[in-house]
Amino acid sequence: MSFNIEEGRYVILGSIDGLLATLGIILGVSVVSASNSIVVSAGFGGAIALALTNGLGSYLAESTIEHGKLVKTEKSLLRKLNNTYVESQSKKRIVKDALTHGGASFLASLVPLAPWILGVGSAFVSVFLSLITLVALGVYSGHISKQNYIMSVAKMVGLGTLIIITVELLRIVHLV
Amino acid sequence: MSQIKRLVLDVLKPHEPTNVEVASAIGDLQDVDGVNLSLYEVDQQTENVKITVEGPNVNYDLVQQTIENLGGVVHSVDEIIAGKKLVEEEETLHDRG
Repeated sequence: MSFNIEEGRYVILGSIDGLLATLGIILGVSVVSASNSIVVSAGFGGAIALALTNGLGSYLAESTIEHGKLVKTEKSLLRKLNNTYVESQSKKRIVKDALTHGGASFLASLVPLAPWILGVGSAFVSVFLSLITLVALGVYSGHISKQNYIMSVAKMVGLGTLIIITVELLRIVHLV
Repeated sequence: MSQIKRLVLDVLKPHEPTNVEVASAIGDLQDVDGVNLSLYEVDQQTENVKITVEGPNVNYDLVQQTIENLGGVVHSVDEIIAGKKLVEEEETLHDRG
């Protein structure tokens, strides 16, 4: 499956959302309970909620933008574009962007959840897998932006590390 | 009614679908032998193109419908050749002046 630059934006947005928010939930919940099922339930609930809000959010935002573009084109053409190829392509873009955003979010959520689903149950493994995924996302980001791959990976991993440190600090405060 | 052999249309269309897609869609119509699409003007939202369609029996309504389905508008029909053979425009003294 190939994505254009517009969809690539939603792959990155959704993946970062799903990956880091779910990792945050897992790190937070694993402090109070070492039970696999509780961590999986909390993480999975978060993953579903994120996927739905990201997907619906994109649907609503893209509908607004695409409708605005369509009206602008209609004004230039002095005609309505209802039931034309232009309108059908616009609707397809809205649905594709919403599915890409929501889908990327859900799939990325499964990465930190995977060790808990498989019964390994380790926050360290979740963090490690998340950082590996951020490296892959950095490479993808560098590829679509035609920028330096190393810089792109560094930015992505730096962001992830910052969030992990913040969540860990909150955990320490909670434990104290 | 004699058969239309060539149509030259002045069309205003959005940037999407592309000119390649529009020319290809018209070229796929029945009784169309060939299409020439030339870009004349590019605006922020639209493009002005000249579309020349040739064939043994070009159906104008179908061509117009195809253009409109693709989001375009036929501004004017600039040239029509109908009948048994292609008759080109003759230059007159008025044109030379």
